[in-house]
Amino acid sequence: MNAGLEIGVAVGKTIFIIMFALSLGGLLTWVERKQSAVMQDRIGANRASILGLRVWGLFHIIADAVKMFTKEDFVPNTPHKFIHAIAPVLSIFFALLSFAVIPFGSSIVIAGHSIGLQVADVNVGILFIFAMMSVAVYGVVLAGWSSNNNYALLGGIRATAQMISYEITFGLTLVGVILIFQTLSMQEIVRAQGGLLFGFLPRWGVFLQPLGLLLFMTAAIAETKRIPFDIPEGESEIIGFFVEYSSMKFGMFMFADFIEQILVAAMVTTFFFGGWQVPYLGDTGFAFPWGTTWDLNTWMVESLRVAAFVVKVSFFCWLQMLIRWTLPRFRFDQLMNLGWKVLLPLSLANTLATAVIVLWVGR
Amino acid sequence: MPKLTIDDRTIEVPAGTTVIQAAEKLGIYIPRYCYHPGLSIAGSCRMCLVEVEKAPKLQIACYTFVTDGMVVRTTTEKVTIARQAILEFLLANHPLDCPVCDQAGECKLQEFYMQFGQYDSTLLENKLKKHKAMPIGPHIMLDSERCILCSRCVRFVDEVTKTHELGIFNRGDHSELLPVKGVTVDNAYSGCLADVCPVGALTDRDFRFKVRVWYLDKTESVCHGCARGCNIEIHSNRRRTHHNDGRLIARLKPRFNGEVNHHWMCDTGRYSYKSIESDDRLVQPLVRLTGKGQEKSDWTLALAQIDEQVTHQVGRSGVAAAAVIATPALSNEELWAARGLFLQGMKIEKIAHRCTPDPNGVEDSLLRKTDTFPNSFGANLIIGQPHTADPTVDTILEAAAAGKIKTMFVIGGGLLERYSTDLLREKLRNVETLIAIQTHRSVLTEMATVALPMTSFAEMDGSICNFEGRVQRYNQAMPPVGQSRPLLDTLADLANRWELKTAPRQPENCFAELAQNAGYFAGLSYETLGDGGVNPSRRSATAATT
Amino acid sequence: MGTVRVIHVSERRRTLTFWERTYLLEVFRGLVLTARHFFVNLWRHSLWLVGVKSGPPGAATFQYPEVRRPQSPRLRTLHRLAKRPDGTPRCVACMMCETVCPAFCIKIVAEEVDDSSIEKRPKSFDIDIGRCVFCGFCVEACPEDAIRMDTGITEIGALSRDGMVLNIETLLSLPPKSERGDKPVDFLQQQLVQ
Repeated sequence: MNAGLEIGVAVGKTIFIIMFALSLGGLLTWVERKQSAVMQDRIGANRASILGLRVWGLFHIIADAVKMFTKEDFVPNTPHKFIHAIAPVLSIFFALLSFAVIPFGSSIVIAGHSIGLQVADVNVGILFIFAMMSVAVYGVVLAGWSSNNNYALLGGIRATAQMISYEITFGLTLVGVILIFQTLSMQEIVRAQGGLLFGFLPRWGVFLQPLGLLLFMTAAIAETKRIPFDIPEGESEIIGFFVEYSSMKFGMFMFADFIEQILVAAMVTTFFFGGWQVPYLGDTGFAFPWGTTWDLNTWMVESLRVAAFVVKVSFFCWLQMLIRWTLPRFRFDQLMNLGWKVLLPLSLANTLATAVIVLWVGR
Repeated sequence: MPKLTIDDRTIEVPAGTTVIQAAEKLGIYIPRYCYHPGLSIAGSCRMCLVEVEKAPKLQIACYTFVTDGMVVRTTTEKVTIARQAILEFLLANHPLDCPVCDQAGECKLQEFYMQFGQYDSTLLENKLKKHKAMPIGPHIMLDSERCILCSRCVRFVDEVTKTHELGIFNRGDHSELLPVKGVTVDNAYSGCLADVCPVGALTDRDFRFKVRVWYLDKTESVCHGCARGCNIEIHSNRRRTHHNDGRLIARLKPRFNGEVNHHWMCDTGRYSYKSIESDDRLVQPLVRLTGKGQEKSDWTLALAQIDEQVTHQVGRSGVAAAAVIATPALSNEELWAARGLFLQGMKIEKIAHRCTPDPNGVEDSLLRKTDTFPNSFGANLIIGQPHTADPTVDTILEAAAAGKIKTMFVIGGGLLERYSTDLLREKLRNVETLIAIQTHRSVLTEMATVALPMTSFAEMDGSICNFEGRVQRYNQAMPPVGQSRPLLDTLADLANRWELKTAPRQPENCFAELAQNAGYFAGLSYETLGDGGVNPSRRSATAATT
Repeated sequence: MGTVRVIHVSERRRTLTFWERTYLLEVFRGLVLTARHFFVNLWRHSLWLVGVKSGPPGAATFQYPEVRRPQSPRLRTLHRLAKRPDGTPRCVACMMCETVCPAFCIKIVAEEVDDSSIEKRPKSFDIDIGRCVFCGFCVEACPEDAIRMDTGITEIGALSRDGMVLNIETLLSLPPKSERGDKPVDFLQQQLVQ
């Protein structure tokens, strides 16, 4: 495969994954409003219309976008105007970058070339994601600091404390996954989840690391600063790090929030729910535990796998919304207590237990 | 002296005291309608019934004289029931038109009914109709339906003014308060009828529907109408300015002072407040620039102009050609500051305050005085006495007419009542630099090189001496009208410009300085003056005897 | 009227069981509750969407302004001034409402009338709706039953602050809801012109 073609394929995959993340993110702004409304016996946004057509408020996405872009871009009186401008970009950029290592399918063969359905199959994919998510904190911190506003700074500091505390649990829970699958490559982890446990159960992370999933979800929601961990924002108390942002700069923060939500959904899918794996579906077709087989060609299989990935990610987005509209916000001391005194010891114990079991089984 | 017990508290009072007065000394207020400390006792309303031990029935506190060992109870159930019944009688024919009644809010019927009311009416009969909204004089409106026939007003016109205009006619519940046929209630003290009336039967026509009484702020002050210096309350409506066409001062009420005016004040003084917020108030500085007409200006420019023009004129024609008229309409403090600036600072010898008497001045045996300046006594002390030359306003005006005065300050009002506009115009023709510091627009401000607005007595603190030398304080009741400023500030600003010694800007401090320097006021301060004032001449007299 | 249950503040905070304190189970119960609402409502919405409208609706929302909440007869809405049979205002400018108004939004100027059975009437009667808090104290205080809040008008808007000040003519012209029925008033239009 020549270099030009390779670049072309890479660009194609990048465009696909970015379009996927952005359009799903856009959709989530609508889902957020609509799902919360349905959960609360309301109707939700339904007024935006084009030519009298309302389609359940879907046009609110467009209306919001138009509004965001046309609002006054207010810049506070701060000596750090450049940092103030760059902070939301950092936030959204690093959130999007993480998608590079998310495998959304196995691989397809076009004209004799095998193309992996992942932008970059980095063999330390997990580390890459951690790196990106850590850098994303900078967007928040810099926004809080450069706004020249006490509330924003408070929000930024809260975000820093929170994200540093929960990143440890976040990482440690994945150590268990790494121990079991013996790899740091995302694609390899997904492939390793292809087999069966006890002959009928898909060999997914959730069945091998149930506690890990719980801890990971908790830490991940904390990482994305969503309710019940939205202390850096805390609308009712400090408004948060983006208090001095308006127009599309604020829009970028909001959007980064949704992108991170999709990222978390994708990570949970990848690490614990078999990524693009469909239960009992092998490269050649379904092979059910009771002996039935159902042959499919490669294209069908790959389509099913990408679809499975999208469905799983969508489900976890929905689940996060459900959590966000169910639980009340933690107090800051409760947040810190939970992070350091509950989640960290549990994740350490989980890691230890996993290591012992892996060693014992491996021997 | 008899010793008696009222509500388990014992007090010793001089013989001849009534129970109601003795109770008042103990701080026990017995409800009353017909009893008024300034009038004779009628005992007609029966509201002040109290229980006296060993007396078979309830006794009226207003006409029961104390005896030794008397035991009086004012709050027993019997008394309360009696008051309830009395109120029921009084209200039997009362129209209950409180919404349109000006007395509402200070009406004794309302107040006592809240305390002792029966609330559930047992009356089945229709109320009697009587005269309503009947103007009985220039100042008083009569509403016979509201009248409770306490006869306070009848006693007032019989005993205080001795004009006998009012009477109670007919019998039974047809009894009606009316003016004697063919007579209008136009005596010089008729405004007091609205004060003595405990209900809304006699109301002030001037105050009619202006402001509800509960919107009024009360400021203790002294009437500036004549040399008597009656103690008054200024009732001003400072918070709801849409009432009364935006005018803040709604009415003046007499304030009790046994040494000066007792409970009364004359109608001239009562309605004198109108000039305070009249349309002819000078509300902003006026400046006549060389070669131009008089223009409206601001304080900075006006003060600069005075500085320039006076310095120039005095430099050219000399201090001997300068004169000051400071009328006795000014307070002691203002006169003191004026003396400090002009006599001691600028060395102007010709400072006058004495004018020809006001032709409209009336004197009677009750309150009114011929001298319509409020502070002639003080002006005499502060400006007149220490200065031997002591010219009068007349001599200064003559000198001005003769062209001997080139610079003149005219400070304070009252001149226009004594000198005609034409006369002043004629006499002041030759004055080249005329500085008028005035409350109202007049020929003086019209002719002035610079005219400055000053505050009237309602807009500042101060003190004045009445005709017998009593020093009395008055307080600020409203913010200054327009751009007018207290004279003390203006004089201090001028003194600063000319680098002369300034008098304190605060009236209280200024009075303290006056008390230190002028013997008459020695030892006095705003605090010792209190609400009722002090008469130092009487004090020295008593000091001499002891 | 049932019996009154007294709750002592000290008892209100009960001690949590172990499972409640672990938080996790309660989180799940909460999620189940909200998820149930979600699916039930989604199902109802879907039924309504395909035309089956016999079941309960999926939301308690009133689609204002097309659909309006029914008003309670006691609802405090825009003020009006009642008239005497001859068309003059009942108000006698006693200033009770102005005095009691906690928002200081009523401004009355009184004037005298020759009719000695009335004596006093309002020369002007302004209500600044922009400041009004709709507490209804003015109605309570009125001894003449002259000011009432029964117009049923809840939509009050103007393009300026001055437009929010209703004068005596406007207040007298407003009909009560009982007379007006559901007919809209051209009140908004008048105000917007100002």
